Amino acid sequence: MKATWILADGREMTLEVPAGRSLMEVAQAASVPGIIGECGGTMSCATCHVQVDEAWRGLVGGPSDFEDAMLDTVDAPRTDASRLSCQIEMRADLDGVVVRVPA
Amino acid sequence: MTIWTPTDDGYADLASHDTFMQGAPHNTFARLRAEDPLHWSDWSGGKGFWSITRHADILELNRQPDLMSSAYGIRMEDQTYEEYLARRTFQETDPPLHSQTRMKVAKAFSKPVVAGFEDLIRELCHDILDEALDHGTFDATRLIARQLPMRMLGRIIGTPDEDLPWLVEKGDALIANTDPDFTDHVLDRMTTDQYRLMPFNSPAGAELYDYAKTLMLDKAAKGDTNGVLHLILQPGPDGSVISETEFRNFFCLLVAAGNDTTRYSIAAGIHAMLHQPELLAQMQSGQVWETAPDEIIRWATPAIYFRRTATRDHEMHGKTIREGDKVLYWFLSGNRDETAFDDPMRVDLARTPNRHLSFGQGGPHLCLGMHLARLEVRVLFQEFSKRLKSIEPAGPHAFLRSNFVGGIKSLPVTTTRA
Repeated sequence: MKATWILADGREMTLEVPAGRSLMEVAQAASVPGIIGECGGTMSCATCHVQVDEAWRGLVGGPSDFEDAMLDTVDAPRTDASRLSCQIEMRADLDGVVVRVPA
Repeated sequence: MTIWTPTDDGYADLASHDTFMQGAPHNTFARLRAEDPLHWSDWSGGKGFWSITRHADILELNRQPDLMSSAYGIRMEDQTYEEYLARRTFQETDPPLHSQTRMKVAKAFSKPVVAGFEDLIRELCHDILDEALDHGTFDATRLIARQLPMRMLGRIIGTPDEDLPWLVEKGDALIANTDPDFTDHVLDRMTTDQYRLMPFNSPAGAELYDYAKTLMLDKAAKGDTNGVLHLILQPGPDGSVISETEFRNFFCLLVAAGNDTTRYSIAAGIHAMLHQPELLAQMQSGQVWETAPDEIIRWATPAIYFRRTATRDHEMHGKTIREGDKVLYWFLSGNRDETAFDDPMRVDLARTPNRHLSFGQGGPHLCLGMHLARLEVRVLFQEFSKRLKSIEPAGPHAFLRSNFVGGIKSLPVTTTRA
């Protein structure tokens, strides 16, 4: 399964994401610019902020209460599409998901 | 200078605070990483413990708080349940309880909010550095490293400047509670248990608590809602508020942890400048500020270890960690792991990437104040290097007596102004 990151400078990176792995983990391993992920996916750093592409937002879903609070701490401005990518786990229906890494 | 050459024989007693007075036992950590990455130590002060010394292993365990719990204490000392309840902060909780507290204060310490402090920090640095450099020869820990986080603490919690030296003295008594220079109640030499229900097992905890109570009453009377203390008292989404004990402990944590860690990062950075003279020119080039703060903080690793407790049996490196066993993540060792860092025993201000563990990276307890720490370190060294022509040692330095907080408690230097 694959996911695509649209970077702040407009470049795109498409990576293989195994089922059950978070987008943050895969992005961190591939050094996707703008995805740091300092807390290992435990929602304590808010450094894996992405904005989910409009077409995928319904399927990906919204944040939990704690994620919602942590999204108030992100560096780039938050939008309705904002998620912490450590909380987006790959599954069959998300194959091909597109997210933006905000500047 | 032989300062980068550790002197331990490779078999240092990691449980002994005295070990760390000679500087960290890096030969021991290197041997353990190579030969015994899951190392058991018996301990005369309580139950024995496991040591995790490899960078990758710390990251692997740290992201599993369900397996490695913080809710039985985070230092190697054993606690009864009664002591744990009386002394715990959100550092000593696991998700989701930890998250409930963290979300109340996360925004106050977020990168964009902290960035708003830059001008204030720079002003404080002007005062601190101009005053210190007038001395020519001085203790850089006392006159520089100690000053900036102390003065910032006042801004974060909203206390008058004149109270700060007292607060910091009490904070030191808490967190440096194994060094007789900082407390009369040295933890491993105590003959009384009368403080066992106080934060950090210290009477300073009770004094800080009284101070916090008065401060909050004063602030309430004035309608002053500035500072993070107000935030922590607000109800969570489910309406729950923290107890008086938890508030006391949170206050003590802010005063203690938010202070000495940045101090010892700054001290370690200045110490590095003494022994790697090229660092001054690199700083003055202005090219390294994106990366230098993290490298200085990697080098310093003020939080030497944190402890976890296994919630179930766990196999690792051919051994079994048993449920209830204490497991120490030696961040200081992880930060010198040669498989994670090229030339780990040198300071490289341009180091990229720099996946150091000084803030407890990889787990939910990632340092709440890390953005503030990075900012303070960057601005301090920007302003310091700008003012310097040269800096040299002016006598022997001294390390804190602690295996928990790593720091140079006195650092005599001679400076020449640019």
